Amino acid sequence: MTVDTEPQEPESTAMRFEVVSSALKEGTAAAARVGRLALPGRRPIDTPNFIAVTSRGTLPHVTPDNISKHLQVSGAYFSLEDFVEKSQQNLSRPPPIFSAPTSTNHPTPLYSFTGTPSHITTILAARRLPAVPSPIGNSTKSISVFTNTGFQNLSTTDYLSAASTLEPDITIPLADLTNNSPPGTSPTSKRALRMAERTDEWIVDWFSSPLSTSTSTFAPVLPIPYPIQWEYLSRLAEDYIPSSQLSGLAVHDPDIIPDLATHQPSLLSLPLLSLSNPSNPHLILRHIALGTDLFALPLINAVSDAGLALNFTFPAPPSPGSTPLPLAVDLSLPSFSTSVTPLSESCTCYACKSHHKSYIHHLLQAREMLGWTLLQIHNHATMSAFFGGIQRSIKDATFEDERLSFSRAYDSEMPAGVGERPRMRGYQYKSQGGEENAGKKKNKPAWQKELAVEDDKVEVPETDGGRELQEKGVGEVVKGSGR
Amino acid sequence: SAALTFELVGKCSTTRARASILTLPHGQVNLPIFMPVATQASLKGLTPEQLEATGCRLCLNNTYHLGLKPGQEVLDAVGGAHKFQGWNHNLLTDSGGFQMVSLLKLANVTEEGVRFLSPHDGSPMLLTPEHSMSLQNSIGSDIMMQLDDVLVTTHPDKARMREAMERSVRWLDRCIAAHKYPERQNLFCIIQGGLDLEMRRECCREMVARDTPGIAIGGLSGGEAKDDFCKVVATCTEQLPELKPRYVMGIGYPEDLVVSVALGADMFDCVWPTRTARFGNAITKHGVLNMKREMYAADFGPIEEGCGCQCCRPVGQEGSLGITRAFIHHNAAKETVAAHLLTLHNVWYQLDLMRQAREAIIADQFPAFVKKFFVGLYPDGQSYPSWAVNALRGVGIELLER
Ligand SMILES: [Zn+2]
Ligand SMILES: [Zn+2]
Repeated sequence: MTVDTEPQEPESTAMRFEVVSSALKEGTAAAARVGRLALPGRRPIDTPNFIAVTSRGTLPHVTPDNISKHLQVSGAYFSLEDFVEKSQQNLSRPPPIFSAPTSTNHPTPLYSFTGTPSHITTILAARRLPAVPSPIGNSTKSISVFTNTGFQNLSTTDYLSAASTLEPDITIPLADLTNNSPPGTSPTSKRALRMAERTDEWIVDWFSSPLSTSTSTFAPVLPIPYPIQWEYLSRLAEDYIPSSQLSGLAVHDPDIIPDLATHQPSLLSLPLLSLSNPSNPHLILRHIALGTDLFALPLINAVSDAGLALNFTFPAPPSPGSTPLPLAVDLSLPSFSTSVTPLSESCTCYACKSHHKSYIHHLLQAREMLGWTLLQIHNHATMSAFFGGIQRSIKDATFEDERLSFSRAYDSEMPAGVGERPRMRGYQYKSQGGEENAGKKKNKPAWQKELAVEDDKVEVPETDGGRELQEKGVGEVVKGSGR
Repeated sequence: SAALTFELVGKCSTTRARASILTLPHGQVNLPIFMPVATQASLKGLTPEQLEATGCRLCLNNTYHLGLKPGQEVLDAVGGAHKFQGWNHNLLTDSGGFQMVSLLKLANVTEEGVRFLSPHDGSPMLLTPEHSMSLQNSIGSDIMMQLDDVLVTTHPDKARMREAMERSVRWLDRCIAAHKYPERQNLFCIIQGGLDLEMRRECCREMVARDTPGIAIGGLSGGEAKDDFCKVVATCTEQLPELKPRYVMGIGYPEDLVVSVALGADMFDCVWPTRTARFGNAITKHGVLNMKREMYAADFGPIEEGCGCQCCRPVGQEGSLGITRAFIHHNAAKETVAAHLLTLHNVWYQLDLMRQAREAIIADQFPAFVKKFFVGLYPDGQSYPSWAVNALRGVGIELLER
């Protein structure tokens, strides 16, 4: 089977995934691998790779023309909860996205409603990534989702019908996840067992329902130990691989991959998409070493909002010094105010070709939206280059060595970023993992300030007035007495 | 002058409208023109590349804001505002004085300059014509504005109004003397004089005598009646030399632009189109539409039917993004992208309006263009604002005539 040519025949509607090269050695269970994921009509995705994470149908701060022109990203994660809020003025109106008309450029309602370029592979899940914890539990036939107008239930049948209408390239069916416990804690074994049972029931319902053939299913793999969900996972392997209904796995915790390799090796013929939200590239590399093919990375959006420019490469540069390199540059620091070098010397992205640190520092200081736009472009480009380097090293069989050098060369964690974030809405800051207070503090200035009392024709600066005026020399201090 | 040429390419045979080519150090711009305001060296989320794609070749930066952030030192170190923001086309900067007077309520004006008390510690401070020139020289703008003594046109004290007008003339002399780079930056004077037409005429005479490469009409858009606004513009354009660009400061509503062009003005700027985009408003030929309204939630039409901007261009056409009203509604005031897209549309609308006016002038079809424009806004062909009817009548267009 060749995957190099774009599928031409109209009957070729199936997703194809081929492992091109693997670091798998004799006798080992799982390992980093290079592959290619091809969906009809979309740009093929060479793996390992990442997909962008959208918010309300858009990559934050980046308009579709800039996505097409300046990003190499080939896939995007969408959450249904971003589209199904109940209108407060018109409670009976169905979510508009379901009636969005399609065209050749925007072949499904998901594309046409969001304006997503058609080369991008679309992946639909129920919840945002990371999801806002819900105080309401899931029920036997529904989960609790968080919309712009509050929590509401999403039933398994409603989700199925949404996926059939929106026709994403890939759908992740519902999983019974505990979104109401603090991150990092694992559910009780009793709860974990129920999670596995429900998710198992839901997947049976899913595959027994008439689903549009144009969407591929990536079944969720729960963030609980293998022994608790083995029945569910073996059903996936034994029933739905032979029936060709299962196209991939959406793995919430990649540490389960070695168990899959041991107990259900046939599942590893599928592409593995990680939803684990790694907080740094070292974790990404570790998950690749386990066999992860694709990552949804909310990290990039968070890093851009924090005013950080990613600054790492794979392989790492030969590091002469003993101190590890930072993973990102904090553009809010005053030391960049006159720096006319690009965000990263080796980067060829639009932001680096057209602008320099001084300007982006200024945009962050002035809270101009373009600052975050340029950082998004650079950070997505840096991540694309990182994954490109990973693909090459796996092919060259140098991945494990390079991974070790990378871990020595760079800091273990991302810097925090001293700058103020863009203004966050409720659905955004609540999703920052319980950081509500931090969210509020970061919320102070607004990109869209209500200016009812101001003249509509005067632009109002954000300044503390005289002190800044004086320091910057806009005016000069009058010598002697005032008037 | 060395840094500017102005060539008339068309004149309306009915009104005073003109079409011209203004050549500045960073290239040619076609007049009449609307100039978007990139207050802090950035146009509200658009990349310079996106702004360029709207056809914009001349935009504004604000001296007061750039003086604060990044500050003169950084501008000098980086080599000016063009380099700083990656904009290879033309820039115009204001003097900083207007923003100071309107934003810092404690400001007052003396012969030396604009005095104000630091809101931080109450210490007295001063912006002089010399200082404004020095800042604008550091910015490197293609067109810089003189520091003027700005009063709202509705100021009741006639003596103070005269003082402001005369002082603005004296400050122009100080600006000319302090301007370091007349061979690569153009200094425009600003006509003052409130609503007193005789004072405006006197100011025109004084300013024109100083022979700056371009001339601005200042102090308007401060809450005066539209009739009065039009009278001031008409009085000034009547007296200004034909072969210099005329810039009416702070004007941005589409009706104001079209009427001002008819009265003989060439250049306009305003933050309104980009600000209103951030509030979810789209400027269209049928008026301003608020995309946040429920009626647009499931409206899958473009922001404006027939618009040529990237958002609205028919799907399938080169560069079309296929953005719908429904998507803007979905994200207005929620994701910055909705603001960016509306900004793209609104800037395009304003620039395109002036492009169409220019084409109409060159074809000597300008009165027909004006009528069509007003019918778009007032489809009954009747309820036109009386100020527009009057002002246009003054230059030979009968709006109410079919
Ligand atoms: Zn870059
Ligand atoms: Zn448009």
